[in-house]
Amino acid sequence: MDAATLEHLGFEIALGTYLISSVLFVLYFSEKRRRLAEMGFFLALFGFIFQTIALASRWFYAGYPPWVSTYEVMSFFAWAIVGGYLILNVKSDYKNAGLLIAPLAFILLGFASLQPSNPAPLIPALQSVWLLIHVPIVILSYCAFVIAFVASLLYLFKDKQLSETQTVAVIKSQQEIAAKSAPQGSAPESAGILARFSLEQLDDVAYRSVAIGFPLLTIGIITGAIWAESAWGSYWSWDPKETWSLITWLVFLVYLHAKTQNWGASLSAYIASFGFLSVICTFLGVGYVLPFLEAYLPVSTGLHAYAGGDVITGTLLFIGIVGAVVVLLFATRKKPPNTTHVLPAREDAEHEPTS
Amino acid sequence: MNFAIRVLTSARFAVSVVALFIVISIVGTFVPGGDVVFGSPLFLALIAILAISTVLCSLTRIGPLWHELTRAEVAVSDSFIDSLPYSAHLSSVTVTEVRDNLKGYAIRESKKGGTTFLFAQKGRTGRFGSHIAHFGVLILLLGIATGAAYGYANPYNNKIAVIAQGGSQQIDGFVLRLDNFNVSYYDTGAVRDYKATVTVLDGDRAETHDVTVNGPLTYKGLTFYLYGYDANGVAQSGKASWVAFQIKSTTGIPLVWAGAAVTLAGIMLSLYVPHKRIWIKESHQGVDLGASSNKSAKRFFREIESLCTKLVNHAQNGNAHRRNMR
Repeated sequence: MDAATLEHLGFEIALGTYLISSVLFVLYFSEKRRRLAEMGFFLALFGFIFQTIALASRWFYAGYPPWVSTYEVMSFFAWAIVGGYLILNVKSDYKNAGLLIAPLAFILLGFASLQPSNPAPLIPALQSVWLLIHVPIVILSYCAFVIAFVASLLYLFKDKQLSETQTVAVIKSQQEIAAKSAPQGSAPESAGILARFSLEQLDDVAYRSVAIGFPLLTIGIITGAIWAESAWGSYWSWDPKETWSLITWLVFLVYLHAKTQNWGASLSAYIASFGFLSVICTFLGVGYVLPFLEAYLPVSTGLHAYAGGDVITGTLLFIGIVGAVVVLLFATRKKPPNTTHVLPAREDAEHEPTS
Repeated sequence: MNFAIRVLTSARFAVSVVALFIVISIVGTFVPGGDVVFGSPLFLALIAILAISTVLCSLTRIGPLWHELTRAEVAVSDSFIDSLPYSAHLSSVTVTEVRDNLKGYAIRESKKGGTTFLFAQKGRTGRFGSHIAHFGVLILLLGIATGAAYGYANPYNNKIAVIAQGGSQQIDGFVLRLDNFNVSYYDTGAVRDYKATVTVLDGDRAETHDVTVNGPLTYKGLTFYLYGYDANGVAQSGKASWVAFQIKSTTGIPLVWAGAAVTLAGIMLSLYVPHKRIWIKESHQGVDLGASSNKSAKRFFREIESLCTKLVNHAQNGNAHRRNMR
């Protein structure tokens, strides 16, 4: 078997296993059977191993690192995200985060599978040691921010769940007081995906991920500037990719200040989520939406472009991910604590002895 | 004035300005022609406000920080040790044993009322990390400003020099001669690289250099980048009759890299070097021990726990009674 065939085989197997893993996590979400999450986790691991083989084969037969064309970069990004998820699970059990990780990896790899995959030899601008340094560092930073987002989203859902079960427990105990019987335990319940996580744990994972991603992005931007200076004659020209990577950096800068100034874990979680949106804009938006819009609006796409990316599927992917994130973030909004259910229960209790 | 200073040095203000900066930058990516937004007076004013606020934030906080770090109390009260996030009593352990087992810590000892106290700390540099990063940003901005000012004044900055094959051009006191230009190809016919061979003639000095896409030539404060070439000539006869170089001034650039490096160092220090402090006090045939860390508390407490276990195992009748671990 030659390297090219090995690469395609590894890629296809990984694509399939990420899909099955995603399905298993979705089933776990509804069925709440632990076994499903464990199987989902092992399939993600399985896919990761095959992707590793695929990427290594790619590097070997293309003669350059697998992060130049859209096909390669998206594969590498998917691989790194799954890798981050696996590392997260080394010391503690975060298998449930696979519900968000596996589908994301599948979508990215799926998008890659739609792009031309034949390796083209490196253009003169890419004949540089910075290709080996700048690009992977930036992508790994994006990865860290993805993990931070996943942890932040889980935090917000857990926070909402806890406050709602607390409200239910308060309502229950108030009704019981009103019914003149002893209130049952008011410990909030937590079932399913979020059960194994504590708020503190999720907040900690988010912080530690940003603590990894932020320096990496800093190095990524600096090395990008050094490379731009030697290849394009200017270390900074407000190119859309440069500008958006700076925006992402600034959002996570705000995150770190929110953390050190103790402005609240909930606020930090939302900031990290905006940071993730910024990563998507930097990575997908600049790469595919801007060139798509170029046909209709006087926007400039700048000098950063991954070869062979279809702007229509890229734009659809962007809309899909951003849309999903926005919907999820809206779903984390907490209902106001004093609902109308509380008052009638007390009033009823005043007029009627028991229900 | 006091109010102004208080606002300027507050983190909340700085973050609000950053948020505004973010919004304007987002708008700027959609407006054609970078300078319209990014060169606008509003944008530059925002950067200036951020620079001032950042520097003031650090200037007002460094003094008290230095004071705090150099004047830490060694002989502390029992209630202080109790108030720490981690505190324990180790019976049958001596202060000397604790001291001998604290590796890598800067230790101060004090005797008060017949009782021996120890104060051990490490990672103080980490507390300065954010301030170092702030100054790094200032240096970076100075580099950018210097480059902009001097670059604007430099008559050769942003100029294109078109040199004929074999010909030369006088540039700022020296001569640049184009000796050769070569395009190399892959088997597929795609271009592999462009290479211009030039010679710099300066007085009695003659240096020959290759200029490639990723390998510009820097000489006497000016950098020459490959900008264009006679594509028709190359297509027809394989020879370019002229090559164009873009000239940029290098002023300020080293300062930009220095600022970037300092900022990165500050970031790493603030994120990865925790300031760990341990207070030890002789008490009831043993020692009271209290500890705190400004970050990575859990990991630090695990270190302290294993230190306590080690000390207590070595001592005769040693026992650890942990009071707090928050």
